[in-house]
Amino acid sequence: MPRATAIALESLAVAVLGFGLAIVANWLSPRGLSLTRDYFPVPTLATHPATGPAPAAGSPASAGPATRARLVAHGLQAISREEALTLHRDPRRAQGLVVFIDAREERAYQAGHIPGALQFDHYRPEERLPALLPLCLSAERVIVYCNGGECEDSEFAAVMLRDAGVPAANLFIYVGGISDWTAHSLPVETGPGEGFAPAAP
Amino acid sequence: MSAMTASPPTRAWALAAAVLRWSVGGVFIYLGLTKALHPVEFLKLVRQYEVVSQPPLLNLIASALPWFEVICGLLLVLGTAVRGTTLVMMVLMIAFTGLVVRRALALAAAGGIAFCDLRMDCGCGSGEVWVCGKVVENALLLVALGIILSAPTAFGLRPALFRGPRVAESRVERRDAKAAF
Repeated sequence: MPRATAIALESLAVAVLGFGLAIVANWLSPRGLSLTRDYFPVPTLATHPATGPAPAAGSPASAGPATRARLVAHGLQAISREEALTLHRDPRRAQGLVVFIDAREERAYQAGHIPGALQFDHYRPEERLPALLPLCLSAERVIVYCNGGECEDSEFAAVMLRDAGVPAANLFIYVGGISDWTAHSLPVETGPGEGFAPAAP
Repeated sequence: MSAMTASPPTRAWALAAAVLRWSVGGVFIYLGLTKALHPVEFLKLVRQYEVVSQPPLLNLIASALPWFEVICGLLLVLGTAVRGTTLVMMVLMIAFTGLVVRRALALAAAGGIAFCDLRMDCGCGSGEVWVCGKVVENALLLVALGIILSAPTAFGLRPALFRGPRVAESRVERRDAKAAF
């Protein structure tokens, strides 16, 4: 067999078998992705470079008008840091009537979140949604946040909660997110958080 | 293993290429695992390239690519199907570097900053990096892959999946080694 042909055939074999094995590895992995699920249920305007600043070009703490317009288009309400802070200091929070939701993944949440916020990774709703949903349904105000700026996880999480039955009128997105919160030296809590039990089996 | 029966310079060359192969294989295993263990983060980054945006294709790419990288890294470390694996990695490396540069140029233009002043998470498995540095790193990896492709394979577990008679293969390997010097 000519050498070039042998190498070409070998490349093809590596590509096909390797890809097949990679799919099996993803399937076996406990963190593997579903191939069919739409992880991004809300159309986005944020990721296009022309519509927003480069993520590395500056702090994502301030949410631009584009983000607010997008939230409104999706039937969601945006709140500022001042409004978030007022709600955080609201005595109703202690009664479970004001709930803060951190829509970032576990590592980011544990590294620092708004005190009392519950973690909800909407990419893995099966882990937390069953325990979280009753709390959100009984709350009068549910404030969802993520990193801030152009991050979309708070929107996706809010849409998932809305679709699960939480009234849209009770859902608020703190668009500045944790970047805005920490940039103003507001208190954060680290670790797994408290007052939240995992879903019962 | 044919190269190990060749002359001392050829043997040294084959040994150096083997060390390079193990190193490059290790890099791919590390970068692949970093992404494979946090697939959602990788999925989000892949989506930002706006090449594919819908499941199942988006999910398929984001779920398979990291593991594919790990598998190719393992093949390089083991010395199995070395040239085929190397060629596939070179093609992917060129394509992905092109995509990274395209996205970085767009972000740099949107942010009004110079290309080399841009830091971003390119989804390469190394977190947020200087784009210029990443391009140089990829270029070095491409050179390393080129060396592995052209050098004789030592310490390999079935280096070639498809080959002719052993004598012919040995000649090919020796000729390669001489050409490389």
